[in-house]
Amino acid sequence: MRRKQWRKLEEGCFIWLMRLALLIAVVGLGSILFTITSRGWAALSWEMVSQPPSAGFYLGGGGGILHALLGSLYLATGATLLALLIAVPVVLYINTYGRGSKTAEMVRLVLNILWGMPSIVFGVFILGLLLALGLRTSLLAGTIALALVIVPILARTFDEVVRLVPHELSETTLALGTTRLELSIMLLRQTMPGLLAGLFLAFERALGDGAAVLFTAGFTSSMPSSLFQPVASLPLVIFFQLATPFPEVQARAYAAALILTAIVLTFGMLGYFFLHHVGKHVIR
Amino acid sequence: MPGIAIRKLNIWYGNTHALREINLDLPDGQITAIIGPSGCGKSTLLKSINRLLDLNEHVRITGQILIDGAAIYGKQVDVTEVRTQVGMLAQKPFPLPMSIYDNVAYGPRIHGLARGRQLAQLVTDSLKAARLWDEVGHRLKESAHKLSVGQQQRLCLARALAIQPAVLLCDESTASLDPIAARGIEELLSSLRQRYTLVMVTHDIEQARRLADYVVFMWLGEVVEHGPAAAFFQHPQHSLSQAYLAREIG
Repeated sequence: MRRKQWRKLEEGCFIWLMRLALLIAVVGLGSILFTITSRGWAALSWEMVSQPPSAGFYLGGGGGILHALLGSLYLATGATLLALLIAVPVVLYINTYGRGSKTAEMVRLVLNILWGMPSIVFGVFILGLLLALGLRTSLLAGTIALALVIVPILARTFDEVVRLVPHELSETTLALGTTRLELSIMLLRQTMPGLLAGLFLAFERALGDGAAVLFTAGFTSSMPSSLFQPVASLPLVIFFQLATPFPEVQARAYAAALILTAIVLTFGMLGYFFLHHVGKHVIR
Repeated sequence: MPGIAIRKLNIWYGNTHALREINLDLPDGQITAIIGPSGCGKSTLLKSINRLLDLNEHVRITGQILIDGAAIYGKQVDVTEVRTQVGMLAQKPFPLPMSIYDNVAYGPRIHGLARGRQLAQLVTDSLKAARLWDEVGHRLKESAHKLSVGQQQRLCLARALAIQPAVLLCDESTASLDPIAARGIEELLSSLRQRYTLVMVTHDIEQARRLADYVVFMWLGEVVEHGPAAAFFQHPQHSLSQAYLAREIG
């Protein structure tokens, strides 16, 4: 009887601990949304997202953050596409040609380490390269730095999705006399929803990262006309506006944060949608 | 139709000696049933015939298998050619993540066997051979995963037949099906014996008795007895075979 009561108490405690953890997560997200909305809502306007900054924008002048909004989208899109070109072949290789090999395990270890590395380290690394080559900060350098940040995220996410594919699919496909390349294409077909979800996750990460672009993409008030010109980004716009002593400019920083959060949430939901609703023939 | 000759075949998984000195001649144009208790090496032997064992990282194989006189192991052998010649029906049906039509057309497409109308005809013929055409002929663009398990297994058979193999391997292909679907697959396999060399693994002694022309009985990685099914079931020679058929072991 005592043992039975103890087990019930044990289970009750863990249920409440789990509920507490859930509450902390929900309250955390809610608090972030409440803070940026309450402080930035008043400063939000159509002008803000449709115009570049005027002279004296950071001192309270007119204009908007269109340059940073588009800059961030350019950077994140470029970095995601670049990361895709690197991550997908790596993952397909370690799951087909290199399956079960020491190389595959080593690649996973390296990707895990890179995932945990602070993004500013990638920024510093690219800055070092730029200095060595005599180049300056640019959209291209920022894109490469961000791609380095998100390659491990995309690769490990995609790798886990591929590893969840039942072994029977590989066996069935190879039993038809396919090459490993054809097997890779079959795996890609099966994991497409997961890959798309991973892409959105990586895109969100690239969109919100400020440290990697701090030294590499530079900052400007205008739109870049080539890959070799500096570009503004939303995280840095938020940082520079918050650093001013003017309350109206700080409110615009919160409004910019609200825009960034809205974009991230939208892409997060799109990722969720793709994961569950895309791929008519995918085995679920 | 090719016969299969197995010569001095030994297979290890890591340090485990899974198959020992297998020497067999499996007859062409007949159904060979490999029987024996769980873990005796039936599936290992079957999967060595289309080199699916190569997928296991820790496997080591010595000896040789000859299909129609041609060795299938060796550095010069194209494994995709071997698997094209030797089709397989697995224990659990596993349709590819494609439509019903594309599941059957996939093999012929990658091997360049047919295109356009010819391909459509080949798909139709394969589905008819698997006795699935009447049920799916009007909904070929639907996802293969919408089919019942029994239909999925027949689709997998149609997919295997579409690449026009000479040998068909069946690894307990009725084990995951309900009795009616299982009987349907059995009848289907029985009707294919004239056109293919069929090798099947089964746990079910009665199924082997119903279908097999030739039987291989295995025990702990070794072939204990093999021969024509009628003789094997009526007068098993080895004491282990007798005990297995009497369900005293296994």
